[in-house]
Amino acid sequence: MRLEDHEILLKFQHPASRNLAFNQLVRKYQSKVYWHVRKMVVDHDDADDLTQDVFVKVWKHLENFRQDAQLFTWIYRIATNECLNFLSSKRRKFLLPLNDVGAELAAKIEADPAIAGDEIELKLQKAILRLPDKQRLVFNLRYYDEMPYEQMAEVTGTSVGALKASYHHAVKKVEEYVTRTTDD
Amino acid sequence: MKPAFKLDAHPRRPRPLLSEPPADYFDKLPTRIMARLPQADERAAPAAWAWLSFLSPVLRTGLASVAVLGGFAASFYMSGSAPLVPATASTAALDAVPRTELANYLLTSGTRVETSDLATLTAAHPNIAKGFLRVSDEELNDALDAQPTDDPTYL
Repeated sequence: MRLEDHEILLKFQHPASRNLAFNQLVRKYQSKVYWHVRKMVVDHDDADDLTQDVFVKVWKHLENFRQDAQLFTWIYRIATNECLNFLSSKRRKFLLPLNDVGAELAAKIEADPAIAGDEIELKLQKAILRLPDKQRLVFNLRYYDEMPYEQMAEVTGTSVGALKASYHHAVKKVEEYVTRTTDD
Repeated sequence: MKPAFKLDAHPRRPRPLLSEPPADYFDKLPTRIMARLPQADERAAPAAWAWLSFLSPVLRTGLASVAVLGGFAASFYMSGSAPLVPATASTAALDAVPRTELANYLLTSGTRVETSDLATLTAAHPNIAKGFLRVSDEELNDALDAQPTDDPTYL
């Protein structure tokens, strides 16, 4: 049985039911968090580590969660920050410019058997990975998750107008890249 | 001319074509995450403070502010000059000290008793004049009136 968010939060307040409530929370949101992270970092092992980190942070800060936002939006925000920090620290650690991380992720996509043989899909993924991290995040939230702009604004802390503009530019870049790299 | 790629015309998927995680990944993940959580006794407040967890964050913040301000006030009060009015217990204890010992202490310790001390102490504890000092009101007034006018305490 799946608990509603408010039931989870209520049970979490009481030490006796805290672990049970948190276990329910993880089961409810683990898949969404994992795939949100996986789209950003591509690699399963990285996504696995980050997903765990996200939920550990959720555990630590859930008591302070203000219910003026949706629980999932708040969790998404934590996951988003974890991803952006991970990519940025990876870049700093190896002194990599933006495109090299994209190239590394693209190589992982290319090696993934799930995408083998689907040329257009591969080009699409490569095009998405060429986007700057934050723009890629906006693209993922809108294109794959079909998240409303208002909710995206809560997750990213950016205005709806800026998000619409960012998504519009991202789509243009993706379309141009796929068109340019596709044979006649 | 190449046909332009249009994202809207491309079949939309819920996520990119990436290999799925291992089959039992999501069955095991909650257990792995729970194992990584800080232990309950590390995280839980000591029993004496457990009631704090039932307060809302706003109340807890308010309580913390009051505690901090109270701490400041207490440290300010305690670090200030000694209270002008000695505690009753202290004066009672002082009464129990033989006069000769007290006189010897004052003579040998270099402690200087000013007439201002006499004025302050007798004003706060009128009984000390009759009890410990064993002087009449007139003798006390004479002693206080006789203080030099250049005593800086009263300038």
